[in-house]
Amino acid sequence: MNLKNLFEGTTKADRILFIVLIFLSFSGIVFMKEVLPEGKTVRIEVNGHPVYLLPVEKDRVVSVDGPEGETVIEIKNHKVRITKSPCYNKLCIHQGWIESGAIVCLPNRVVITIGNHKENPPIPPFDKGGDGGIFDIDAVTG
Amino acid sequence: MQLQDKYRIALLSAYAIALHGFESLLPTPIPWLKLGLANIITLIALLLYGIRVAITITLIRVTLASLFTGTFLGPAFILSLGGGVTSTLSMWFVLSISPGLLSPIGLSLIGALFHNIAQLFLAYFLFIQRIEAILLISPVIIFIGTLTGTVNGVVSGILLKDLKKADKKIQNENKSE
Repeated sequence: MNLKNLFEGTTKADRILFIVLIFLSFSGIVFMKEVLPEGKTVRIEVNGHPVYLLPVEKDRVVSVDGPEGETVIEIKNHKVRITKSPCYNKLCIHQGWIESGAIVCLPNRVVITIGNHKENPPIPPFDKGGDGGIFDIDAVTG
Repeated sequence: MQLQDKYRIALLSAYAIALHGFESLLPTPIPWLKLGLANIITLIALLLYGIRVAITITLIRVTLASLFTGTFLGPAFILSLGGGVTSTLSMWFVLSISPGLLSPIGLSLIGALFHNIAQLFLAYFLFIQRIEAILLISPVIIFIGTLTGTVNGVVSGILLKDLKKADKKIQNENKSE
């Protein structure tokens, strides 16, 4: 039995329906990918407290203050790195760009993770939970 | 309804249950992705015997198959009941407003589409109240449904042809007797 026999009885309406369905679902897939965010976020914690929850799509530079001083974090092209840290061995800076997983800077108590963080509602960009002046955060850009 | 028809309806229900059960045993890359093989039987029943038989077979299949697989009254049961009934009714609706417009393949596509739409609605209202997740998954499900719907339609077409041939044979034999 060849392939033509299988589709012998099809009508014009059949073919139009098929093409419309394929077209609609395909454009739907593309459209949804464009409209909805990937859902990946960058979460920055200082001293165990979440400080920032940022979308990974948006390039920006963020600085946070830990116990040792200022740590500067850069988000670019869906990747994250630490560009400036007050710690002595600079392990966090040597780790370079990450696309997934985490960067941990123990001396300055900074933990950066990339993933599908499901905080609901999203954490505000600064910690209002009055732990004193440690969490004096300011965004450098963006 | 002739006795022969009753036998055939019972047989079709049994086939539908077997296909439904077989399908739920198949491992699939995504848990709720199914081939919808039982829709072949529903479509054949609809075209040969009409809506009442088709809906009866659908109800028998969904109930019994879920009892066999241990999902009776669970989420999977509600989803397959809603999907099955909606798809049967949609195929009947299209068939009754314009018979001959669509071949079994087109009807199968309609059935698959409405099966998926009903399941997505049910999933949204009953289980996953996250519209963005449903919207993200809908086109993918409808796309896969179109492909499996085509395959099911082709199989239904072949089976229908064979059944009609067999019917003629039986009638000829009866006449000659």
